[in-house]
Amino acid sequence: MKRVWLVAQREFLAAVMNKGFVIGLLVMPVVVGLLIMVMPRLMRAQGSQIRGEVAVIDPTGQIVDGLRAALTPEAITKRRTDVARRALENAPAPVRDVAGESSNAAIEQAMGAAPALTLVQRAATADVQSEKGWLTGTVAESAPRHLALVVIHPDAVSQNAKTEYGGYDIYIPDNTDERVETTIYDAMREALVAARVRAYNMDRAQVEAVMNVRRARSVTVTAGTERQTNVGFNRFLPFIFAGLLVFGILIGGQTLLTQVIEEKSSRVIEVLLSALSPLELMAGKILGQMAVSMLVLALYVGMGLLMLTSFAMLGLVDPLLIVYLIVFFLVGYLVFASVFAAIGAAVNEMREAQSLMTPIMLLLMAPWFFAQPIGRDPDAAFSVAMSLVPPVNTFAMMVRLASTTPPPLWQVGLSLVIGVASAIACMWFAAKIFKVGLLMHGKPPTLGTLIKWARMA
Amino acid sequence: MEQALVLRDVRKSFGATKAVDGINLTVPRGALYGVIGPNGAGKTTCIRMIMSILFPDSGELSVLGRRSALQAKDRIGYLPEERGVYRKMKVGAFLIYMAQLKGVSRDEAAARVPRMLESMNLPGTDGKLCEDLSKGMLQRVQFIAAVVHQPDLLILDEPFSGQDPVSVRLLREHIIAEHRRGATVLLSTHVMANAEEMCQHVVMIHQGHKVLDEPVAGLRRQFDRRTIHFEPLDPGADLSRLRAVPGVERVDTVGEGYTVVLVEGTDPAGAIARLAAAVPPARVELARLRLEDVFIRIVSQGATSSEAARALRAGLRAPGAEGAVA
Repeated sequence: MKRVWLVAQREFLAAVMNKGFVIGLLVMPVVVGLLIMVMPRLMRAQGSQIRGEVAVIDPTGQIVDGLRAALTPEAITKRRTDVARRALENAPAPVRDVAGESSNAAIEQAMGAAPALTLVQRAATADVQSEKGWLTGTVAESAPRHLALVVIHPDAVSQNAKTEYGGYDIYIPDNTDERVETTIYDAMREALVAARVRAYNMDRAQVEAVMNVRRARSVTVTAGTERQTNVGFNRFLPFIFAGLLVFGILIGGQTLLTQVIEEKSSRVIEVLLSALSPLELMAGKILGQMAVSMLVLALYVGMGLLMLTSFAMLGLVDPLLIVYLIVFFLVGYLVFASVFAAIGAAVNEMREAQSLMTPIMLLLMAPWFFAQPIGRDPDAAFSVAMSLVPPVNTFAMMVRLASTTPPPLWQVGLSLVIGVASAIACMWFAAKIFKVGLLMHGKPPTLGTLIKWARMA
Repeated sequence: MEQALVLRDVRKSFGATKAVDGINLTVPRGALYGVIGPNGAGKTTCIRMIMSILFPDSGELSVLGRRSALQAKDRIGYLPEERGVYRKMKVGAFLIYMAQLKGVSRDEAAARVPRMLESMNLPGTDGKLCEDLSKGMLQRVQFIAAVVHQPDLLILDEPFSGQDPVSVRLLREHIIAEHRRGATVLLSTHVMANAEEMCQHVVMIHQGHKVLDEPVAGLRRQFDRRTIHFEPLDPGADLSRLRAVPGVERVDTVGEGYTVVLVEGTDPAGAIARLAAAVPPARVELARLRLEDVFIRIVSQGATSSEAARALRAGLRAPGAEGAVA
């Protein structure tokens, strides 16, 4: 046991005490942080103000005034701030509190100057083909650019025989800023709706009031407790937890694999085997890498919780979930790590490990495929089945635990028992392969050879 | 006396290849045994079975009185033929780690390692990464790893391979020092001179069989009864007179003198008298049996059982025995 401890200690220190590990650990948060900080600036930098002319052919004669009003910078700005405020309403309370104080001016500033578009009205009977020529024709450097041509259908305001409204077409030259189009879409929608409502002699404000339904605040009720839920966050939670599980397993497992291969190829293995048994070596290595994975997981989970705390959203994560994460990580890790160790012992170099690794990697990717269906319907037969079938049961159960409908306790227990049993089976198999494989050099083994070795040992 | 090592009819096959085919071996405590044999003879397989890294298909093993080396690992020092280090580890840390695995306390190991590096002509290397050392230096580091815990049994698989003469001498001194400390030493080599000079006892393995198990002192007393070293008194003496002596098969020139090979079955005493009568000698003597000759003859003869080898050795000593061909 002392030797196992010594090996684990060396493994852990060898993995942690090097620059690569520290850099690797810091890279992800730094990259995410940079993205958060830099991306908005980049997007704003690219957003120079749009100026130019938009030509309109309006056979109905009822839209062009509304469109002109909707395209004034003030109207554009108002629409944009409205959208931003609506988005904020869905955001968690603390975010809303912070953002709510910011003035329209601040939002305006964050989004850049509104486009300055001048409307040029053409005759209702103007020829579309020649107007297209206006779009593509060259313009003097100082003259306003020709940005778009809007052709409104004659039946855009009054319904046609099939009781459908007509629409409009937009023509734009190549390489037009995408914001030109979206601005025109929004303005046209406003002008069209206004014209149509007016055609029925209805009051626009009234119609809007009728259409408006306030968004509900959702609260999940469980026996005894009430907990505020956040639809977006809760949808992501299963993904996050399954991701952490796989991520943790991969960190330890991959290092384990490369370490065993390196020990084999550098021939240090026989020196080690004179001091300890293959089983002690394997156990020590698995434990050492487990500690590394736990450290990384602890750092990331800690960072995540810290972030949630700063948004006062800590209540969204049940502390029991963290406990489950640790337990299911341990079980899932032992299953996969022993397989990684066995593969490492069986092959001579990384290249040979690839073919044996493919099925393992596919299993580790499984959560990406089933996290969504299980998260959406955690009690469906499929979800229950997945959470009981090794070796993906730990992932599936984690997804279910993190979902809004926690599974019954007996299923959690059963999944755990199945997980422990499969971990024991995997370690037993791996130990045999490990014992035989360590001193085997030469032809890389196939799955068949591995099974033969397991029988041999 | 208790035996350090006993192998009883040990066999091991890899697929169709019989790597070790029924070997019996007894190494008493405190002995210094050399195992020789051509490449692929089964030496390393034998040693790996002694170390319980491989397990015999059949037969029995006893190591330091235990059924398996696993029960006595801390008392065994092992330098494998295929030896490596953690390349990214510091030399000192690696040796302390190995010592700890062998049950030496951390403090004791930390005190011993710099001392041993010094004595192995590796001063100041304990802070260097293993990958920064030359191959020869690493080999000495690995030797330290094998003896750092002062084992009772030291098993060295090809300790001299890849070493320059200075290092070979250094290693030899250390191996002898370990032996003097009281360790039983078993080393394999194919440098015959090392085995002959260092070891008290030589075992030869060939094609999975033990073909020789003899004290070196006994080997030294043995003579090759068909080979006579002859140096004439007069350097310009006529060679053909030697060739004409009855019983002489051929005469080879070697340095200052000649090597006279006798026809099989010739009495060496009579031949020496006749040769001396033919040409006045400055020196005439019966050649000593060299390990290398035994080795090469056994290998080139393809003797695969100890009986055949015994016959061969007998042939070297006694004229007229079967199977002795020059």
